[in-house]
Amino acid sequence: MKTVFVRPELCVGCRHCEVACAIEHAESRTLFDAIHEEKISKPRIHVEVGINYLPFPNRCRHCDPAPCMQVCPTEALYRDQETSSVVVDYGKCIDCAVCAMACPFGIIHFQKVHQLDTGREVNAKCDNCIERQKIGKIPACAEACKTGALEFGDADDLIRVSRKDFTMRVIKSEGTDVEVPKLPANIRAFRAIMAELAELRGES
Amino acid sequence: MYDSSAGKKIAQTRALDKADQEIMVKSMEDGIETVWDRFAGQQPQCGFGNLGVCCNRCAMGPCRTEPFGKKPTRGTCGADADLIVARNLLDDLTTGAASHSDHGREVVEAMLATAEGHAQGYQILDEDKLHAVATEYGIKTAGRKKEEIAGELARALLEEFGTLKNRIQMTERAPQKTRDTWKKLGIMPRSVDREVVEAMHRIHMGVDSDYTNLLLHAMRTALSDGWGGSMMATDASDILFGTPTPKNALINLATISRDKVNIVLHGHNPILSDMIVKASEDPGLIKRAKDAGAKGINLAGMCCTGNELLMRRGIPLAGSFFDQELVIATGAIEAMVIDYQCIFPAVTQTAGCYHTKVVTTSRKAKIPGAIHKEFQPETGLDTAKEIIGLAIDNFVNRNPDRVRIPEKPMQMMSGFSEEAIRKALGGTYKPLIDAIVAGKIKGAVGIVGCNNPKIKQDYGHVTLAKELIKRDILVVETGCAAIACGKAGLLVPEAADMAGSGLKSVCNALGIPPVLHMGSCVDCSRILVLAANIAKELNVGISDLPLGGAAPEWYSQKAISIGTYFVASGVYTVLGIPPKIFGSPNVTNLLASQLGGIVNASFAIEPDPIKAADLLEAEINRKRKALGI
Repeated sequence: MKTVFVRPELCVGCRHCEVACAIEHAESRTLFDAIHEEKISKPRIHVEVGINYLPFPNRCRHCDPAPCMQVCPTEALYRDQETSSVVVDYGKCIDCAVCAMACPFGIIHFQKVHQLDTGREVNAKCDNCIERQKIGKIPACAEACKTGALEFGDADDLIRVSRKDFTMRVIKSEGTDVEVPKLPANIRAFRAIMAELAELRGES
Repeated sequence: MYDSSAGKKIAQTRALDKADQEIMVKSMEDGIETVWDRFAGQQPQCGFGNLGVCCNRCAMGPCRTEPFGKKPTRGTCGADADLIVARNLLDDLTTGAASHSDHGREVVEAMLATAEGHAQGYQILDEDKLHAVATEYGIKTAGRKKEEIAGELARALLEEFGTLKNRIQMTERAPQKTRDTWKKLGIMPRSVDREVVEAMHRIHMGVDSDYTNLLLHAMRTALSDGWGGSMMATDASDILFGTPTPKNALINLATISRDKVNIVLHGHNPILSDMIVKASEDPGLIKRAKDAGAKGINLAGMCCTGNELLMRRGIPLAGSFFDQELVIATGAIEAMVIDYQCIFPAVTQTAGCYHTKVVTTSRKAKIPGAIHKEFQPETGLDTAKEIIGLAIDNFVNRNPDRVRIPEKPMQMMSGFSEEAIRKALGGTYKPLIDAIVAGKIKGAVGIVGCNNPKIKQDYGHVTLAKELIKRDILVVETGCAAIACGKAGLLVPEAADMAGSGLKSVCNALGIPPVLHMGSCVDCSRILVLAANIAKELNVGISDLPLGGAAPEWYSQKAISIGTYFVASGVYTVLGIPPKIFGSPNVTNLLASQLGGIVNASFAIEPDPIKAADLLEAEINRKRKALGI
């Protein structure tokens, strides 16, 4: 199973992924034209802050079985067999938001899309960039990510990295002090200060 | 419906001051967007920017380096994280230094116009200071008219901005040992504008690629501000408008009047605001206000121009940087008059929700939606009267149903110029030095800087000041730090009760507060002169003195310049908000540690004001030990 694996500890909240996603789903697929299109393309990945100013890139997990698909009354949501992605037939979507109620990750949102002639808003969730995948490219968000917070590949391969780190932690008996992956000292220092600021504001 | 108890809770997390909280709740009820809302809307903020590794200088970019040890480690040109961080830092610092110094230049230009007799309404108010500064510049004073001296001095000061002289006279106010350090490091500033221009040159691609060399120039640029542009701003303002002396005044949002025409003076430069004060005393305008149904004209300062008026005229101070939107939300402001620096571009949007008119006055600082009344020394008084007239005419538009003003203003004492402090001590620093040697006062810390939504408004300033005075450390303040402590009641002699027994006894003997308000942000130069004079009396360098600096809530590039001239002058400085340097461990290490080896002072970053007090106390004890006291 291929997926965009998220390593939240590497996310710096730059939102390159959001911009790349919006461009990829715009009619023009170029930055300078996309911002002038009639139906402005909005990102389908959402980088939001949890606590201590730490961001998390939240994106469709393309579940299987997918709760959104199961509840859709018009079968607008379907699975692309080749990439096993959950995608939307915009013409069938009736904008009822039941899929959004069923989504365990809260990533579904509605917007106007250039594929439809009407001004209706439809479920414009992440489509896993299947068009890019079909020509051998990786999803736009993962391509845009400079830090490795979003990594595209076989889920088992990507999980193996984390597993190896965990193994090292157990074998070396270094306990929870070992971070997965190990973060540079300057990043840890910066995050500690931001956590302190968040705590002072009563937000942590 | 709007839930006011939820609003109160939010307000308590955003601001320390009760009057601020009250009006913040009203601003939420009124649906006003404020700096805190906009900050929340910016989350998450870009980590590349936060770490300082984003470079957007040239058209091969934008570039950034990867902060987790992966690729890319260099921008398109080849700059690594150290260079990108150092160039960005120098850029920010230079913006700050230029802002202070350009403000200073305008005051000097007003002084020249006054001396030449074509400034309307201005006069040379402080002849003693004029003579003192003129003497430093080798200008003869005996038997000459003050205008003549002021003209020659103004021209000499303007020459400090140029490139021919290649030295700044005011740096000679620093003790010899401090000057020797600057000479040895090659950071003695040559002129105000030259360092700024050279900084811009150095950060161009392919010029300075050595982060250490860039940061040395950052120190030189900062020194050209502190011992140049800012110091000239302070001194020329004193000559024109008077050197501050201790006086009592009122502070916080309750200084807004229920029944008078309220004019808020916001920004930095006294050349505008002082003229508005003069014009507001015009009997014709007072009558006009009364004819409009008001009981008179109420001026309230805000931010650093507020500090300038408070220091010299005792004009009430409505608040600091983060009060600019709240003051409008009282619904009782007829006009907010601004010059420049730290004015939210959104202020006209806020004003648009009420009857408030925003008046811009500088060609350099216009805001869409504001009324522009350009201010020139030649027509200063006329423009000031016109602006007040405009506010009076707007009084009729005030909707009493939308007005809320907090009940109680706080009392405060301000006006502690270096000259005033010296005078309070009896003309010499000996009593202060004796108190320090005896351990009654362990040392002194300058708390300066702004507000920042990353920390509860005023919490950093007030908590740090309280913590330091408790430990017998005298606090001197400028800018929004001083305003914060004024609102919190620390700027009154009675606040000595909150100080340790040693500091308390000294304050009580002199009748002064334990936290001294020394002025606006350019007046950080007063802190330098104070430190220099004490050092000279002891025949040591500034870095030998048990001093510290802190900017617990800074946001502005000006604060980077202030912090850097403090450190370059030998004063250890704790920042409460992290600067954008963490992407380069080398730059961070240089600023936080290696600098100590060359200027005997460094930066520290500590958001928690209690821990910051620990750091400052430790530094003061280190320096006391080295002095053998």
